[in-house]
Amino acid sequence: MRALPHLTSFLRNLFRRKQADQDLDEEVRSYVALLTEEKIAVGMSREQARRQARIELGGLEQVKEQVRDNRAGAWFDSLLLDVRYALRMLRKAPGFTTVAVLTLALGIGANTAIFTMTNGLMLHTLPVRDPGQIVELLHHYPGEPEPGFNGFSWDAYQTIREGNHVFSDLIVGAVNFFTVSADNLQPQTVFGGAVGGTFFQALGVRAAAGRLIGPEDVYMGDHAPVAVVSWSFWKSRFDFDPRVIGKKIVIDDAPVTIVGVAQRGFYGLSYEAQQDIWWPISLGPSPGWGFGLLARLKPGVSLEQARAEMAVLSQTVVNAPDAGPFVRQMKLRIEPAANGVTTPLSQMLSTPLTVLMATVGLLLLLACANLAGLLLARGASRQHEMAVRACLGAPRARLLRQTLTESLLLSLVGCAVGIFVAYFAAHALIRVFASGRFIVGAPVHFEALTNPDAHVLLFTLAIALLTGLLCGAAPAMSASNTIPASALQQASRIGESKSRRLFGKGLVASQVALSLVLMSSAGLFVEDLRQLRNLNLGFERNKLLLVTLDFAHGGYDAAHFSRLSQELVMRLDAIPGVNSATFSNMSPMEGPAASSFASAEDHPEKQTQVFINYVAPAYFETYGTPFLAGRDFSARDQAGSSVAIINETAARDCFGNENPIGRHITLSHITLTKGERTYEVVGVVRDAKYNDLEQAAPPTIYPDLLQQGYVGSQHSQLAIRTRTDPGGIVGAVRQTEASVLKTVPIVRTITMNEQIDSTIVPQRLIAMLSAAFGALAALLAAIGLYGLLAFTIARRTHEIGVRMALGAAATDVMRIVLRGALWMVCAGLAIGAPLAFWGKRVAASLIPGLPAASPLPIAVAAAIMIAVGLIAAYLPARRAMRVDPMVALRHE
Amino acid sequence: MPPDQTNLLQGTLDMMILKSLALTEMHGLGIARRIEQITKGTFQVKPGSLFPSLHRMEEEGWLTSTWGESENNRRAKYYKLTGSGRRQLETETKRWGRISLAIARALETS
Repeated sequence: MRALPHLTSFLRNLFRRKQADQDLDEEVRSYVALLTEEKIAVGMSREQARRQARIELGGLEQVKEQVRDNRAGAWFDSLLLDVRYALRMLRKAPGFTTVAVLTLALGIGANTAIFTMTNGLMLHTLPVRDPGQIVELLHHYPGEPEPGFNGFSWDAYQTIREGNHVFSDLIVGAVNFFTVSADNLQPQTVFGGAVGGTFFQALGVRAAAGRLIGPEDVYMGDHAPVAVVSWSFWKSRFDFDPRVIGKKIVIDDAPVTIVGVAQRGFYGLSYEAQQDIWWPISLGPSPGWGFGLLARLKPGVSLEQARAEMAVLSQTVVNAPDAGPFVRQMKLRIEPAANGVTTPLSQMLSTPLTVLMATVGLLLLLACANLAGLLLARGASRQHEMAVRACLGAPRARLLRQTLTESLLLSLVGCAVGIFVAYFAAHALIRVFASGRFIVGAPVHFEALTNPDAHVLLFTLAIALLTGLLCGAAPAMSASNTIPASALQQASRIGESKSRRLFGKGLVASQVALSLVLMSSAGLFVEDLRQLRNLNLGFERNKLLLVTLDFAHGGYDAAHFSRLSQELVMRLDAIPGVNSATFSNMSPMEGPAASSFASAEDHPEKQTQVFINYVAPAYFETYGTPFLAGRDFSARDQAGSSVAIINETAARDCFGNENPIGRHITLSHITLTKGERTYEVVGVVRDAKYNDLEQAAPPTIYPDLLQQGYVGSQHSQLAIRTRTDPGGIVGAVRQTEASVLKTVPIVRTITMNEQIDSTIVPQRLIAMLSAAFGALAALLAAIGLYGLLAFTIARRTHEIGVRMALGAAATDVMRIVLRGALWMVCAGLAIGAPLAFWGKRVAASLIPGLPAASPLPIAVAAAIMIAVGLIAAYLPARRAMRVDPMVALRHE
Repeated sequence: MPPDQTNLLQGTLDMMILKSLALTEMHGLGIARRIEQITKGTFQVKPGSLFPSLHRMEEEGWLTSTWGESENNRRAKYYKLTGSGRRQLETETKRWGRISLAIARALETS
């Protein structure tokens, strides 16, 4: 209860200050009046009595001040005063304030934007019981993206389930798209999962309504026709209707009944790929790799122990008697999944975000140094003011607080602006992510990556406060250390101690050093991107339009397809601006690959893994891949025996130095299936990249698409080589396609360059952002240098005047200023170079394939910094040159 | 000049003010004079410490104040003890009793 009177008086003091002050004034005056009368009563004259009373009171204002200092919320009053004063000071220097706030807004905004994504992608703890014990199992093939894919065969699942001693539960939970429909529900694609019987129980998820899927729903070869939906699905699609339990819906053509709703907040296994519907998985051998596996570690079992055992189990799976050659290359892995399972997005972004987080951290540090420098310079010019305030009795702590209030105010305003900057930056970045292959069409909950939650806001506030303290500390210390007497004497002239001058120069040098690190790493990333974009791909990337057709529901048989596709190609060829057109099963860099094991006819024992693409005639002509030997497919091939074209690596790997033309090659285990096919090699083409820019072209075989009667694939790629910008013919292509293949929809059109870019989103992202941050860093360092020099020269006007009066030429003065600037820049470069080398090594360890050996980026960055430094110094130097000795000396 | 300038500790001043208000409500000068009177002039309470004390105790809820007329018809602010102020006085008195006893003993034994 004691807090209550305090609170009411605090509020009264706050809101009815005027009345309280009047009241107090009246009270003290009445005291004086009473005292005066008392003295008159003992015989003093009125005049004398009043005088005596005043003396005894000891100052009306002082008494009132003492009362005010004792009031509830006195600290708040003085804080308000400080803030008001700080605001006035900042308003009086709009240029400084704008630069400072922008600097901080960009620094804090960049940090917030990157942190928002890191938070959304990597820092959300799964909403399950003891998430720290949850791990995911992954398989990894050499050359595939790290860390691997979560999907296992029935046999592998059995081996892991029977053989492990480290898991208390092995949880089956594949993630998948489903088409869900119901009586009053439009068919829609929903992200969900086929889960094992222990999924919910082992994760510790409860039902919000109805029941969850249990072991009784899962049996060999089949499963109960039931489904469970998420709370948010219940809310958005059924408006919390309790009759959802028992509702009949259709998942992928299978009728099921909803039996329950999962507990509120359970979004499945990944925050950015949230699941809305779950149904039981059917157990039993299946050809695919459909068993997604999670596990809960037994209490006390460490990740290392689990990994050690997994290495043993991995051997068992790989060496199983019926394991195909694919499986033999596989490795099993365990990764912690407390923050969600690996998704295409996290796979793509975790490294770039780590790199960018470090980059923006450095940028903020640089912004701090920059602002500290500016504040320090301002502090020096306010020495006189500080001295006066100290003389008038302001305690040291109060001066310290005043200066800190100013810098904190700046950082808080910067923080507020920064949150806006972050919001827009995050949205801009999302557009880049969304263009990534595997991301297009994936169920990514992008709001998770752009909308700041409480964690993000706290983080931002924390860095804002830290920034405010960091860049305010030195100026505050120096302001509160002002010695009034000397400052008042000297403030009009030199008045800057040597240590402070050195500190200011040190700040500029550190900005140069940080800029060097940021710019050289930006150079590295940009160079990496440039090299990727200029790689020899083995085909011509410009002026190539790709059109994806969906044959899934077209209803064409093989013969029909073959005839119509040839007709389509002929009519496309006739479009003005088109050089040639062709079909293939897939296009390079598109994504999903097909592979198999090949053996040449004379060496059946030697198995080479080869990648497959089924292509129509004119494929190589259209893509611009030259033939090294043999011929292209022709219309005659369709009636004859199976033929294929191979690339030079496949020719070398399978046939050595022998001529492969006319020889036979046999494919087995075509993308995890059994059975074999034999082809006669009719041509050899130059190597071309298959699916990954950074890997060498793998051995590749191109069977004849038309000969295969190949309509099996749902999607086919139409490739059109144009003479002009491919964007210009999209309309004509669409029209032609629609008139020939009436029931086959176009899924997407994309240029080859765009498709290549979609495979290098992380590199683009890092290059783009680090270049922007590098430029910003250089700009900040330039502002810092300019600010310091401009300030120093204003102070040294007198000295320069003397020099010129004694015969120094204008160019001498300029040389002095530029030399000083150059010294600072060089000192910064000397500090920054080792840091930059170290940073390069760190970056190279995170991003394989970075051209880290070249010292060029650092050299270029250093040259840029020197140029930037000289430009920043030139303006103040010119001002110094124009000092008129007479004016400067009279200035005294 | 007063013979003995005792610097009153904050808590002691509060206690003295509460004590002087125990019987009747009073204005600031009245309180100061009352304290001088009951301490036989040992303590002279200056306005610079009196008013902050009064206002603080009012915020604590130990005192309430009203404007009224002084004996010679001047407007003055009168302070009055509240229930919690009375309880505070009791606590302070007991505490002071314990402390002074302890100090007295300490001084005797040495």
